[in-house]
Parts: sequence; C-alpha cells; structure tokens
Amino acid sequence: MARKAFMIDTSRCTACRGCQVACKQWNKLPADAEVNRGSYENPPQLTPHLYNKIEFIEKGEGKDFTWRFLNQRCLQCGDAGCIKVCPSAGALFHTEEGLVGYDQDKCISCNYCVNGCPFDVPRYDANNKVTKCHGCMDRVANGLQPACVKACPTASLQFGDRDKLIAAAKASGKQVYGETALSGLGAMYALDGSPQDYNLAENPSIPQSIFLWKDVIKPLGILGFWGAVGAAMLHYVTVGPKQLEDDFEDKGGE
Amino acid sequence: MSNYVKRFSAFDRVVHWVLAVAFFVLVFSGLGLFAHTFFGYFDFFGGPEQGILAHKIAGIAFLITSVLLFLAHAKETCRFDGDDAKWFGAFGGYLKRGGKEIPQGKFNAGQKLFALFSFVATIALGLTGWVIWDPTAMERGLTQMSLMLHGLFFILFMMGAVVHIYLATIGNPGTADGMLWGYVKKVWAKKHASKWYKEVIGE
Repeated sequence: MARKAFMIDTSRCTACRGCQVACKQWNKLPADAEVNRGSYENPPQLTPHLYNKIEFIEKGEGKDFTWRFLNQRCLQCGDAGCIKVCPSAGALFHTEEGLVGYDQDKCISCNYCVNGCPFDVPRYDANNKVTKCHGCMDRVANGLQPACVKACPTASLQFGDRDKLIAAAKASGKQVYGETALSGLGAMYALDGSPQDYNLAENPSIPQSIFLWKDVIKPLGILGFWGAVGAAMLHYVTVGPKQLEDDFEDKGGE
Repeated sequence: MSNYVKRFSAFDRVVHWVLAVAFFVLVFSGLGLFAHTFFGYFDFFGGPEQGILAHKIAGIAFLITSVLLFLAHAKETCRFDGDDAKWFGAFGGYLKRGGKEIPQGKFNAGQKLFALFSFVATIALGLTGWVIWDPTAMERGLTQMSLMLHGLFFILFMMGAVVHIYLATIGNPGTADGMLWGYVKKVWAKKHASKWYKEVIGE
C-alpha cells in the first residue's frame, strides 16, 4: 500500500484549534484543567489527553512581531525511535499506511519510547500505558480522514497519499519539512519560514545514544556473549584445563 | 597434616552466592528489555511488569553484595606487581598445556583484573540503573545515555561472567572448592597461588 501521510501547511493555520477539539472528541479524551499564562496556547505541551496541539510561536516587537502556528503531534517517523526501543513487539508498530500506531494491551509501561522519540512526543496515561497521536489509525483503516483533518476549516491539515502531498506542496513553492529525515516523516510540514522559526530541529534524527544502544551494542553484545562461550569451549578441547597433576607429553592443540 | 588450606570465609562464600543468584535473576529479568528474542523470559516472573520489579530488587541485592565482596578483598585485588606483568605477558599460561606457573598471590593477575572490572561495572550499572529506575524522572539526554551505558556494561559483564565461570570451574579443576565450602587442596594452592601458599603455610 502506498504510504499515507499528513501535510501540515502552516501558512493556512488560523490557530482555531478545531484539530485539538476534534481529536479529543473522536479519541474520547477529557479536557486538561489549565491556567491562563497570557497566551492562547493551551495546554503548554502535549499531555496524555492531548494528542495534537497548536504551538503559538510569538517573536519580535511592534511592526516586527510575528505569530506562527505549528500543529504539534507525533510525526509518524518512517524510522521510528519509539518502535526501535520498544521491548514489547507490537506495542508500537507501523500500520499498513505507515502511521505509528500502538496497542496499549501490549505496552509494558517501561517508558523507553518516551526516551527513544526524537521529538519528545509519547506520554503515559493514568494506567501507565503509552498514548500519542496515532493518526486516527482506526478511521484511516476504514477509509476515513483523521478527525483533526476532517475538522480543519482551512485545509491547513491534509491527509492522503504521501508522494502526492509532497508533489503538491512543492508545486506551490512550499518548503517541505520531513520529506527524507528519519526515513521520511508521516506527518510533514509545509513551512512558512525556516525550521528554526518553528523551533524545529534542522535535521531530526534518532538520539545518538539510542542508535549506539540498539544498533551497535545489542548485536555486538549477543555476538560477544556467544563468542566468549565458544572461546571457552574451544580452549577446553584444545589447550585443556590446568590439571593439578600436570605431566603431559604434548603441549596441547595437537 | 591436612591436605587442604582455607581460602574463603563463610562471609565471602555467602556474599558471593547471593551475588551470583542476584546476577542470574538480573540477567533473566533484564534480557526481555534487551531484545525481542528474549521477551518470553518475562514469563518466569509472571509478566513484564513483575520482571522489571524483580530486576530492581535483584539490582539492589547485586549492588550491595558486589561492593561488599570487592571491599572484603580490595587489599589483595588492588595491588599489582612484577609477577602480574609476567602473568599478563604469558596470558596466564592459558595458551599452552603444562607450562610453568608464574608465582601469584592469593589472586592471580586475571582474577584481580576481573575484581576491579566487576567493581567498576557494578558502580556503572548501579548509577545508570538509578537514572533509569523511572525513565521519565530525569533529563532525556541523561536517561538515553544511561540506557545505552546500562546495555554496554551488561554485555561486558556477561562476557566477563562467561570467562569467570569457565576458569573457576572446569577450566581450573579444584578452584570451585574454595568458593563452595571454603578450602582448596594444597596442591592447588602451590600451583595457582604459590606466593599466597607460602604466606599461609608460613614458610
């Protein structure tokens, strides 16, 4: 199946936050009690009950003032750090469409995904199980649009064939964020500015220590263990043990 | 006159075997977090959550016993001399059959190295284990680094344990007696730890 993805066109976003509300409605998530911090941005970060939110990026003064809106969510990585570190096969997984879904029944509450994610997205709910945006994988599997996309009044949020969305964004002169990073993000941004303007990493990647842990130490470790066992066995049958009565005619290995 | 000479006190032996049991509990409860292949090992503990709990309890037992065992022998294991250099140069005589043994103290150079390594690895595993006890409690970069180092010292310890178990059992017949019931044969002591043997016999 062709990979599906979100394309989030920041220039079209009016920060109505309909996406936040539609997500809560479809995923049956309660509201978070919050306080007024002098910004329309609310809550200040993703929570176990908030799978996507609008970040308000306010920079400059007077005439130089800029207001940028960024829909924050799980970016559905092709090479997903959360899946890489998850010890329980199938607790986090790629759907047929390429979304990063999860199965709370298989989650073992280890919190590894929280640390494996390049974007600090996964949260744990009151039952100590993983939660995050799964791209409404249930709706998508049944041919529907994700709830946030359906609710978006300006088509800032789009969902569909990944290649077509990229081609369309490029045709209209937009800079696409996440086309190739992490084997391609499944939620990309068509940015109205540079990644830094949106507080996004220029080249997002799996954390270096996570890469070393899972792709270097783990395979070498398994090899090292069996190598040590093999070396011990080989030593025993060639040179042999240091017997207390050591009157041998040969020098071993013969 | 007895054919045996005392090598390890009851304290040494009990601490060592509590440590050994804790080690294997740690290995089997931790492997499920290390690779998908071993996820089934959690079944020994009643499930992943219980396995992680067992790992934490065994971790504390291991940390305490490992530090105790190191301190109990630190005087012998932290001191290296010229004979130890010769021992390392000859790979402990393990590369050929029936060679002449290099005179060694209570512990040979390899054992001393393993004792020091065990202590360092225990501290490293303890510190990183403390950081990842609750993987969301501390800063992400520190937690990620700790997860990596915990895995690194685990595999180093596994390789060390394989060598340790081989050399302390079938690789050197008679060695395990010392840790099992405290005494080793005099012929063993003369061969493997001649300097220590002279000390205890008082020659």
